[in-house]
Amino acid sequence: MQLKKTMVWDLPTRLFHWVLVLAFALAWATYKDSRHLGLHTIAGYTFFGLLMFRLVWGVVGSHYARFREFSYAPKEVLAYLRSLLGSGIKHYIGHNPAGAWAIFVLITFGLLLSVSGVIVLGGEEQQGLLAGKISFDQSALFRTLHELIAWTMVGLVAVHVTGIIVESLLHRENLIGSMFRGTKWVSGESANVTSHRLVASVLTVSFLTWSAVSLNGYISATEAQPYQPFKGPVLAMNELWNEECGACHLAFHPNLLPARSWQRLFEQQADHFQEDLMLDEATFNELTNYALMNSAEEKKTEAAWKIDRTVKKSETPLQITALVYWKDKHSDIADETWQREKIQSKTNCGACHYDAELSTFQDSAMRIPK
Amino acid sequence: MKKFFLMMTTVVCGLIINLSANAGSVESLQSDYQVQGAGPFSAAAGETMWQKEYLDEKSGKQRSCQTCHGKDLTRSGKHARTGKVIEPLARSVNSERLTEVKFMKKWLKRNCKWTVGRECSAQEKGDFLEYLKGQ
Ligand code: HEC
Ligand code: HEC
Ligand code: HEC
Repeated sequence: MQLKKTMVWDLPTRLFHWVLVLAFALAWATYKDSRHLGLHTIAGYTFFGLLMFRLVWGVVGSHYARFREFSYAPKEVLAYLRSLLGSGIKHYIGHNPAGAWAIFVLITFGLLLSVSGVIVLGGEEQQGLLAGKISFDQSALFRTLHELIAWTMVGLVAVHVTGIIVESLLHRENLIGSMFRGTKWVSGESANVTSHRLVASVLTVSFLTWSAVSLNGYISATEAQPYQPFKGPVLAMNELWNEECGACHLAFHPNLLPARSWQRLFEQQADHFQEDLMLDEATFNELTNYALMNSAEEKKTEAAWKIDRTVKKSETPLQITALVYWKDKHSDIADETWQREKIQSKTNCGACHYDAELSTFQDSAMRIPK
Repeated sequence: MKKFFLMMTTVVCGLIINLSANAGSVESLQSDYQVQGAGPFSAAAGETMWQKEYLDEKSGKQRSCQTCHGKDLTRSGKHARTGKVIEPLARSVNSERLTEVKFMKKWLKRNCKWTVGRECSAQEKGDFLEYLKGQ
């Protein structure tokens, strides 16, 4: 029979597919180092947006892109898989039943991944669509879920890709190439599919605009004025505190230690790391009061929340830099780095964190000076 | 209404007192030292002592006022222990310097202890201020 080169995947479907792959890859590459949380979030929103588009396109798109066209019963999937082992493999122009199921599962997990991501961002970082609506405690569960789902997705992608390679070999047909070109060699009857260039253009323009807007900060950032994608919560400040406690070192915000630690530090004010704080009674009272009202127990930031959780109730640490949480976060930094001219001391938080004075310590607001 | 006037008067008086205190707070602190028997003050003596190095027995390191405030008073210094930037001390570039008696007293006491290993005498403190106010 004569083979005809036929359009199967319209342009929007192909764009969706490959940009989705890129977004997932970017999110994967940026998840470990919290400095890249900004990029991770952009990738995540892109991923989410694409999936939403696909849901619509699955209803109104061209023939082979419609969900109805590839919703097969489990029976048909089993039959198809069994046929792979035998000889009479049925050839599908669009998605085969196994591939179709992989797609539904991938889309479902993709949506779960996006939603859990937005929840974690809202809870742990108090940022994004759900900022302020979710507590640190609530988001802890979703963080675990988010990670589990992501790993599951990686597994699913592996199955999806394996399936495609197997089918390509069995049918002697380049399915990956088809997802780029949009065409397949088809014998006999097939539905009429157009490219849908208009929709594809709208999709492309929206994507480029979104990229330009969301990445603009990164592009226009300079060494002196680095980009801060997130602003942290506004914490209660005290002028007297900033003046008295900010002369020799950063005026560490009270949210970085538990109340009992501040209590002890103030009791020992005459021997403060070999310095004498010389606080008169009025100053002493105002500062102690401020510290106790705004300590880590108030959980106003991610750091405070984690510090509160990780300090043993039986201990009264007097140094932020002695906290398990702090040591853990900075364990990757080499001894040599701490001694650099521009850093000099572990307590010189502002050398690396440019939101140190606001004490928000956003993941993305840091760079290690040379 | 009465309350309001009272408040305004207090604010205005407060401002005036504050301003006049700022204008001559170095002089006023120096005259306190004179009352204690010190003076006249010498910028040259202040400068010499400012640059002089003192051995700290415990760390075995030399210390001077320049250890934190730097060699050039018109530029920022850096705290020797914490690395924190200290704004320039010279009034020619930093108008907020030497404007508050309480602040100067506190830091002169503390910094002398740290650098020289003892509190400075009224004469020494007056000399430091004589030197610093001309920068
Ligand atoms: C006269 C200078 C001076 C003043 C003023 C001062 N500190 Fe300190 N502080 C130090 C030094 C020095 C250290 C030790 C820093 C180091 O090891 O890098 C320190 C360390 C600390 C630490 C532990 C930092 C860590 O994690 O290692 C805390 C907390 C602290 N100070 C709080 C305060 C508070 C609160 C005030 C105001 C009431 C204050 N300091 C005022 C000199 C000062
Ligand atoms: C040498 C540079 C450097 C200095 C100095 C420094 N940090 Fe950090 N800090 C980092 C880096 C890098 C990370 C990111 C670690 C990661 O998650 O990959 C970090 C992470 C953190 C975090 C966790 C942020 C988050 O949400 O994951 C907190 C909180 C923090 N630092 C607080 C401090 C405080 C408080 C000080 C001063 C006492 C300080 N840091 C000093 C480099 C520094
Ligand atoms: C260990 C670091 C350190 C050393 C050494 C040091 N200072 Fe200071 N000095 C400071 C800090 C910190 C401040 C207060 C922060 C600020 O004003 O920016 C200060 C403030 C002062 C002030 C108050 C300035 C004002 O605006 O009123 C005077 C005066 C002063 N220092 C004099 C001295 C003298 C004199 C010496 C030597 C005996 C000295 N300092 C050595 C750290 C130091």
